[in-house]
Amino acid sequence: MSMVYMPRAFTRLLPVYIFMAVVFVFFAAPLAWLIITAFDPEASAEFHVPKGVTTKWFSELIKPVGGKYAKVYPWMWIVNSLIISTAVATLVTALSVLSAFSLTRYSFRGQSAVLNLFIILRLMPPMVIAVPIVVLFAKLALVNTYHGLILVMSALILPFTLLIADGYFRTIPSVYEEAAMVDGCSRLKAFLKITLPLATPGIVTIWLLAFVTAWGEFLMPLVLIGDPYLYPASIGIYYWFGMYGRIEYGRICAFSIVYSIPSIVVFLITRKYLQRGIAGLVTR
Amino acid sequence: MGLPAELTGRLLLLPALVLIGLFVIFPVAWGVYISFTDMTLVGPKAVKYGFVMFKNYLRLLADPDFWNSLRVSFLFTVFSALIGQASLGLALALVLRMEGIKGKTAVALVVFIAWIIPEVVAGFTWGSFAMKWGYLNAMLDPIYRLLGMKYINWLYEKPLETIIIANIWRGTAFSMILFTAALESIPKFLYEAAEVDGASSWQKFRYITFPLLSYAILIDFILITIWTFMVFTMIYVMTGGGPGTATELWTIFVYKRAFTPPYTLGYAAAAANIMFMIVLALIVTYLVMIRRIRW
Repeated sequence: MSMVYMPRAFTRLLPVYIFMAVVFVFFAAPLAWLIITAFDPEASAEFHVPKGVTTKWFSELIKPVGGKYAKVYPWMWIVNSLIISTAVATLVTALSVLSAFSLTRYSFRGQSAVLNLFIILRLMPPMVIAVPIVVLFAKLALVNTYHGLILVMSALILPFTLLIADGYFRTIPSVYEEAAMVDGCSRLKAFLKITLPLATPGIVTIWLLAFVTAWGEFLMPLVLIGDPYLYPASIGIYYWFGMYGRIEYGRICAFSIVYSIPSIVVFLITRKYLQRGIAGLVTR
Repeated sequence: MGLPAELTGRLLLLPALVLIGLFVIFPVAWGVYISFTDMTLVGPKAVKYGFVMFKNYLRLLADPDFWNSLRVSFLFTVFSALIGQASLGLALALVLRMEGIKGKTAVALVVFIAWIIPEVVAGFTWGSFAMKWGYLNAMLDPIYRLLGMKYINWLYEKPLETIIIANIWRGTAFSMILFTAALESIPKFLYEAAEVDGASSWQKFRYITFPLLSYAILIDFILITIWTFMVFTMIYVMTGGGPGTATELWTIFVYKRAFTPPYTLGYAAAAANIMFMIVLALIVTYLVMIRRIRW
């Protein structure tokens, strides 16, 4: 045993590599099940060696969900999620930029109170408002409507994007704006004409982050949307998985993958940005 | 011309504050009102509810299911976040910082993906992965054989342990990224100086890394405690709070009381408010801490 030749560096690093291998397997295995099952002709949760590779589960996503959802199509849920998330992201980005402009380019009393309020709301459990929102929306006939859902989801996501926008606009110097103001521009005009174009990458990032946050949202549509035609993808998967009878693992896994792709792509694009945001919590 | 600057500034903030006011702050206040009534979601008491003052709160304190949900949430938070995510995240951050190690990117990537896929997908995946004849047990098969054990039916026999492990899987990425950033902010010359003085790796960790990391560890603890304490979706999809009430987090307790029979909204609102008070105490601690240390 001891005669086996190993470079010193390798034996020293062996525990590190074992640790990395264990961590990798632990994190990759559930994802591997999801991916393998989506391509498995005999898809199920039971472990077995697949007898081949198929893409039929993906192409069958154009067929109706079936069971009690005989006329509901899985792709409708994706379209619904697209509509809701696009609306939420756009509203939330507009409001975040306006607010960040106010907080970073003007100074008035109460600004730090506002920021603290948004930090508190950012960390508030959404379950706290689930009951009152349902009661309120029932009174206002907003249950089962997208505009109601979009407004409450935006209100919940806004603290998150507003804090990012605030941090971002603080890094853009206001000297260019001030130069334009000396030339007779108003503060607002200077902001729109000069800072906003400079801030385009940041604004796009904020929109994308808001989009995927809304894309993954579960609780609010769960309590507010009861019509299967209006479900976003998150609620669709939940009821599909929970339907009585045989669970359709193949199509649910295929659908889960399609549904996860936008989240993965956006987070990979904005990864550096996110890391900087998290770094901002501990350095300075 | 135009408005005074201060007024313009306030006006620009108005749309955001109106949205938050109408759809978050007002509902929170309305939730306090509901918690003092015997309102239900359906039936006669949905409209003709009465005031019961503190009865909901008093009933909660005598409700073993409520205490159980507190216990489950507490254990879930301590073991999955404070112990699991924080230590695994720190270990990963330390490994990612080492030089000459291959495969670091792949490891970081899977940890990251577990964190960013939609929560429902994470819940569905783990619920299937941990089934008795599922992949998890197939992977553990050599260990079962070695110990001469029968397969554990994770979701039924060890439900609390299973949701804790699943949540370590879900949330470690945040701590990993936070600690990676914190480690990068430690100046390299400190280690070089220590090496000149002949310090061992353990001594370098104990006397340089750890003290300089303590602020990051504190911030990490508070944030992951708050976030883990409010987890709902993944566990609700995985187990629905069961079997029985074994994995009924407080969020699931509130949801079930409000939106499954007998639809006791007043009671659920009271439970949600008690939990919000606990979270609020944590948030205030966080705010005070970042203030203290930055100024």
